[in-house]
Amino acid sequence: MSRNGPLALIFHTLFVIFTLAPIVVVCVVAFTPEGYLSLPTNGPSLRWFRTIARYPEFINAFWTSIWLGTVSSVIALAFSVPAALAIARYDFTGREALTALFMSPLMIPHVVLGIAFLRFFTQIGIGGTFLGLVLSHIVVVLPFALRLTLASATGMDRRIEQAAISLGASEWTVLKRITLPLILPGLASGWALSFITSFDEVTMTVFIAAPGTETLPVRMFLYIQDNIDPLVTSVSASVIAATVVALIVMDRIYGLERLLVGRGSGDR
Amino acid sequence: MAFLVLDGLTKRFGEHIAVENLSLAVEQGEFLALLGPSGCGKTTTLQMIAGFVTPTSGTITLAGQDLLAVKPAKRGLGIVFQSYALFPHMTAAENVAFGLEMQGVDKSERSRRVTEALELVGLGKFAERHPRRMSGGQQQRVALARALVIRPSILLLDEPLSNLDAKLREEMQIELRQIQRNVGTTTILVTHDQSEAMALSDRIAVMSQGRIEQIAPPHEAYERPATPFVANFLGKTNVLQAQVQSGQALLGEGRWPVPAGSPPRVLVTVRPEKIGFADGGAQALAGQVVTRIFQGNHWLYQVDTAHGRVTVIRQNSGETAPAEGEAVRLSWRQEDMSVRPAETAR
Repeated sequence: MSRNGPLALIFHTLFVIFTLAPIVVVCVVAFTPEGYLSLPTNGPSLRWFRTIARYPEFINAFWTSIWLGTVSSVIALAFSVPAALAIARYDFTGREALTALFMSPLMIPHVVLGIAFLRFFTQIGIGGTFLGLVLSHIVVVLPFALRLTLASATGMDRRIEQAAISLGASEWTVLKRITLPLILPGLASGWALSFITSFDEVTMTVFIAAPGTETLPVRMFLYIQDNIDPLVTSVSASVIAATVVALIVMDRIYGLERLLVGRGSGDR
Repeated sequence: MAFLVLDGLTKRFGEHIAVENLSLAVEQGEFLALLGPSGCGKTTTLQMIAGFVTPTSGTITLAGQDLLAVKPAKRGLGIVFQSYALFPHMTAAENVAFGLEMQGVDKSERSRRVTEALELVGLGKFAERHPRRMSGGQQQRVALARALVIRPSILLLDEPLSNLDAKLREEMQIELRQIQRNVGTTTILVTHDQSEAMALSDRIAVMSQGRIEQIAPPHEAYERPATPFVANFLGKTNVLQAQVQSGQALLGEGRWPVPAGSPPRVLVTVRPEKIGFADGGAQALAGQVVTRIFQGNHWLYQVDTAHGRVTVIRQNSGETAPAEGEAVRLSWRQEDMSVRPAETAR
């Protein structure tokens, strides 16, 4: 492998700083003892972390986001597996159209989606419900789930399945024992990406969520419209900390590289 | 009736005819090679026997039973693919056990037969390894054990050794032949490698453009190729154009009798190793050595003659080797050449 030259090193360093700096600043500001956004020059304080406890709507919004992300990404994945296998394997009429349809949410601005869903959900009477949130999030995360599932389904050697069939396995057994385990890395990364996308979504959700079904990003967005105090920074820092812990745990038990790149690491 | 019979088998993919009216009978315990260049239909034929490709027309009969009516999973055939197609998420033992599990063989019997199969292919110590931590040759053996352990009625080998390096391939050829002899499973090998087909099989079916050109034991197909295609595909050969005069082909100063009724122009085919350097008096084709290459156990010559360039192979058995540029006279026994009309040449 070739080593990076000094210019490339400087570029990479600047790039990393540029990416990380806002996050670092947010995390540092979260420890301020003052009542306004500032760096904690007089020593760190946990004042704003304690304040979170007095705002149960933030905690509730956090759990709504977690549930919403989990449910919508799991359902999107359940749709993706048969869709990806069909698209990867069979040449049928409307195959391209179907793929384009599943991918289309990527091309529509979320503001437009938000207004459309708001109108539609109100019409059919599920406006502001958790069900509405789940349905809209499934649509938004489906392209991510399908893309990654499709990539691993396409990359799979069909001969492996033929070998299993020749050994007497039924179609269901082949799917359960051979196909699914082999595309599992793609499924895992598809699920993770879908969950993150759902957890992150604010532009569309802000139209659909109602008091009681607000997600965390929506709650924070609404909060900073009225107040400018370090509470959002402490909430952000908590979410970042939770993400880091989750990543470390996943790396320990599964291997991050395997999860995100979809490449198998060595066997134990 | 033979064990496996393919009768009038045809497969069309749209306009393209992959296999055309192919008929073939394989005896129980026989090792048959389907040999041909890529695109000749040999793999399609194998896939039709396995059940992964449905024939356009024709029948396949196994032990008197219509095989096409049986689902691929119920055919009970063992298949070894070029890519090995091992289950990467399972250990060698789990790979081999999979087929037995599908048959509902109970656990103790299963582990006994898995151990037996892995020992048969010399991998007794590797049972708990995953495929990706094994070499190509080892993976190949696991694939073979996995196919054999279900005691298949036929073993289908699809270019099984093509991914191995030359030395390992030769070792595996010898081993594969021994294993097949010991187990006695009827085997069909698909390969484009003529030396592999000749080394392993009892009979070779040489295929070209979806048809079988010749079915014969390797030695016979090599010595008496039925068509020019077979002659060219099985090893090197020299093809010389010759005039026929009063029942004799004229090649330089040589006169070789040809079958009665030969047309005035014929093609004479002689294998390089059948050609010798003649002494002064004998009837021979004169030429000049252009290149001489030493290859250890033999010398390889290119000789320019009035009838074109001729390749000659001589064993390195101590006879004097003509130098490059030297004038030589080429000669061969009449029974070592075959003659066919020039018109049918491809």
